[in-house]
Amino acid sequence: MSPEKQGLKPGLSRSRPRSEGNEAHPLGAELTRLLGPRKVLSSLSERLNYRYDAIQFGVTPVCVVLPESTADVVAVVKAARRAGLPIVGRGAASGLSGGAAPMEEAVVVSFTRMTGLQIFPERREAVAQSGVITLKVTEAARPHGLIYPPDPASFRTSTIGGNLGENAGGPLCFKYGVTGDYVRGLEFVDAEGEVYTLERDAYDLPGLLIGSEGTLGLITSATLRLAPPPVHTRTLLASFAEVGACAEAVSAAIAAGAVPSKLEFMDRACTNAVEDFLHLDLPRDAEAVLLVDTDGDDLETVQEELALVEAACVEAGGKVRRATTDAESAALWQARRSVSPALGRIRPQRMNEDIVVPRSVLPEVVREIRALGDASGFHLVQFGHIGDGNLHPNILFDPRRESMEAVHDLAHRIALVAIRYGGVLSGEHGIGTMKRAFMNDAVDPVTMSALRDVKAALDPAGALNPGKLLPDPLPAVSSQEPAHAGS
Amino acid sequence: MNHDIPVLQIGPQGEVMAHGVDACVHCGFCLPACPTYTLLGDEMDSPRGRIVLMKEVLERALPLEDAAPHLDRCLGCLGCVSACPSGVPYGELITAFRGWSEPQRQRSPLDRAKRFAILKALPAPKLFSVAARVGQYAKPLGPMLPAALRAPLDLLPESVPAMQPSPALTPAQGPRRGRVAFLVGCAQQALAPNFNAATLRVLARNGIEVVIPEGQGCCGAAALHTGARDEALKLVRANLKAFNPDDYDAILSNAAGCGAGLKEYPAVLHGLPDEAQARAFSAKVQDISEYLYGLLRSGDLTAPMPASRPLKVAYHDACHLAHAQGVRMAPRQLLRSIPGVEVIEIPEGDLCCGSAGTYNLEQPELASQLGARKAGHILGTQPDLVVSGNIGCHTQIQSHVRRQGSRVPVMHTVELLDLAYKGEL
Ligand SMILES: Cc1cc2nc3c(=O)[nH]c(=O)nc-3n(C[C@H](O)[C@H](O)[C@H](O)COP(=O)(O)OP(=O)(O)OC[C@H]3O[C@@H](n4cnc5c(N)ncnc54)[C@H](O)[C@@H]3O)c2cc1C
Ligand code: SF4
Ligand code: SF4
Repeated sequence: MSPEKQGLKPGLSRSRPRSEGNEAHPLGAELTRLLGPRKVLSSLSERLNYRYDAIQFGVTPVCVVLPESTADVVAVVKAARRAGLPIVGRGAASGLSGGAAPMEEAVVVSFTRMTGLQIFPERREAVAQSGVITLKVTEAARPHGLIYPPDPASFRTSTIGGNLGENAGGPLCFKYGVTGDYVRGLEFVDAEGEVYTLERDAYDLPGLLIGSEGTLGLITSATLRLAPPPVHTRTLLASFAEVGACAEAVSAAIAAGAVPSKLEFMDRACTNAVEDFLHLDLPRDAEAVLLVDTDGDDLETVQEELALVEAACVEAGGKVRRATTDAESAALWQARRSVSPALGRIRPQRMNEDIVVPRSVLPEVVREIRALGDASGFHLVQFGHIGDGNLHPNILFDPRRESMEAVHDLAHRIALVAIRYGGVLSGEHGIGTMKRAFMNDAVDPVTMSALRDVKAALDPAGALNPGKLLPDPLPAVSSQEPAHAGS
Repeated sequence: MNHDIPVLQIGPQGEVMAHGVDACVHCGFCLPACPTYTLLGDEMDSPRGRIVLMKEVLERALPLEDAAPHLDRCLGCLGCVSACPSGVPYGELITAFRGWSEPQRQRSPLDRAKRFAILKALPAPKLFSVAARVGQYAKPLGPMLPAALRAPLDLLPESVPAMQPSPALTPAQGPRRGRVAFLVGCAQQALAPNFNAATLRVLARNGIEVVIPEGQGCCGAAALHTGARDEALKLVRANLKAFNPDDYDAILSNAAGCGAGLKEYPAVLHGLPDEAQARAFSAKVQDISEYLYGLLRSGDLTAPMPASRPLKVAYHDACHLAHAQGVRMAPRQLLRSIPGVEVIEIPEGDLCCGSAGTYNLEQPELASQLGARKAGHILGTQPDLVVSGNIGCHTQIQSHVRRQGSRVPVMHTVELLDLAYKGEL
């Protein structure tokens, strides 16, 4: 293990190589010759900043390429192949599973300059290069009376390529679906440098690439479906004295026939973290807060649906506050979007779980995880897109005082709760390095070997984003490799 | 973010920096708010990237000279601070870092001379005025000069107005309702003397007595943000001596950059004996628009006369007003208080116009790209007038708007109010 790799273990990060890592790799020189100096970063100060995403610091890449066209991507892939170096794709590096952090010496291909975007209102489609910032698609489509619904909380920062890599979801996905539901076609470059242009017919290869975390190909552009925005939206906030009651209200509201466009849950620790920062007059005492939007083109239906949700909340013992103005709803949604970063103020690091469970078992799951957290002594918080059963239990910790091993153990136990209740390991953040070791618990051996076959078919040399998603073929290495430093 | 910064060795400014690094959770929310990231599309020229670079340098894992080009490209616009939900005090971090690192920098003699000239000329209005006039004559030579020397010339307005002396005391008109001290600013006295004249007239018209205390000088922000910490400390202390906060209802500035500088004094003096004095001083500092908005809110603002025709006013948020001081609503509401004025928003309004501090002189290439981008957005709104609350933005926007062939007037918020009071709008 290289000294830098040890740096992955918080607390051991002191032995990172200092500036002696500065000598340029020959591949950097070759790529500079092929693509020009503007697109290739070779010096240490430049490369250093391409070793992380929003959760993890990995190994400093040998060089970084900022392609401006598909042809540039092809050139990097071919050159890296000749040099025998793996490739890590990167968007805005807002990922929360370590996906864009290199785990070994590699070339990083950062798509932030591939920002071509065209809107075709008559087809209700956008064609976006992979570096386009998610929100820009909606901004460009809005003048044509259209929006791009997938809305991860990171939509001001994250890229379409990264969203596709993780099959990102967001508050709207309960009613409108996740990134993958809006993809009509893809252009991607495979491990050999071949370019593919695919629609979603015959074999649904785009479907395979979506959520593959850069392990099967590098996406260069996507054709995305646009939709008209709903005419009316109404918002309410409900607070509960107990987390399970909140989950019960959600299940009851849906069972009663409401299809809210957004159903978000925050527990007390989240509400308080956000309140400390934004001062929005959120109910600090509530153990759980539910934030709901109903929307549609017919105001009456929208209000009826909101009333159904309200009734379910009251029935479950909740207190309800309806937003009366657009500004009030906007403030409430800003609160929800700020949860993740606001948590950083409590402890320097966090392990962000991303499980999905069937809605019917939500109350039990939320309660069990709460109990696990309380028993562990860690500061555990929960929030998530509760409407589709997507929960984000977060373990907040200080690596200087708390054991990584214990954090990892708690995360594993949380994952097992999800699996035990018929859930899955990742709703939207991906497996990355964070949950790779748990894959063996979640996926049976036959399915696992099918996944490996797919990977081998598209990337026989294992050159694309190694160390992500699929666990090592050997028995689980979870306790030796707690690979989730970062913050 | 985890770090290994030797805080104890660095001292109080080390604490300031370590706190900045600590608070960053690395989420990347600040990236799209950063003008250099928007232009260059690379991580080293983003706020998150710069925080990591500073951390590495402080930990001695990366030589300062390697990180410097990227840190030098930072405008100090604080767009990242508005975007950061974790409350990372990026401004304090980079300012402290520049102060800490400048003495270790190896700069070329030309670079050194240029910085020396800037730092000497900016705080000395007379000298600046002379320099500006000399520059005026040199303007036709511009195309023949190297870029480093050409940039400051490009910036000068077509004509440099004569210096106007500021009265030590401007009495209130009518019954006296308040008493304020006013910081006259440096470059602005030479480049746009009407800003101050209009400010004094508008305050007097509202029954406010204005004192211009003797012994005041440059706020020190330019020195501080370019890393000349010792120089800055001298200027800061001179102002603390000149202004006694107990004597005034408020200490006013009409230049966003200076106002932000004055509000920064407690961080600058953090851990030093005069920190408490700085706190008392900064607590009284307000931007002119904040102060006037206070009057408007309490119903005490003298009503301006209506504009003679409906006016579309594009309001540009100066970074040091919006991001550094959080003042966004006050100037807009003041402008709206003039009957006939409609305030229009500029697309990408949160992105810096590229003039921050000495940026035009140090990074002419990027400054000019940002200026052109801003001017394009402004002209796209088809305004009758452009208004901002900062001399730097004013010069930058005026020069780029002209370059794009428009003659639209560019003004300070108080100039517009002043015209409305005179019935000349
Ligand atoms: C505060 C915060 C809130 C968040 N909220 C949400 C949320 O609500 N919903 C959600 O789903 N996620 C959320 N995320 C996680 C993250 O923003 C998403 O995973 C996002 O999709 C990542 O996009 P990115 O451009 O930053 O990609 P990166 O992090 O750079 O990359 C993500 C993965 O995609 C791969 N990749 C990137 N570009 C390409 C490409 N062109 N071709 C192939 N592979 C590629 C990378 O190798 C990596 O595996 C949040 C993150 C933060 C920090
Ligand atoms: S201060 Fe401005 S230029 Fe500097 S990092 Fe922040 S947003 Fe970017
Ligand atoms: S938004 Fe704030 S916390 Fe997030 S990366 Fe930027 S500075 Fe750090």
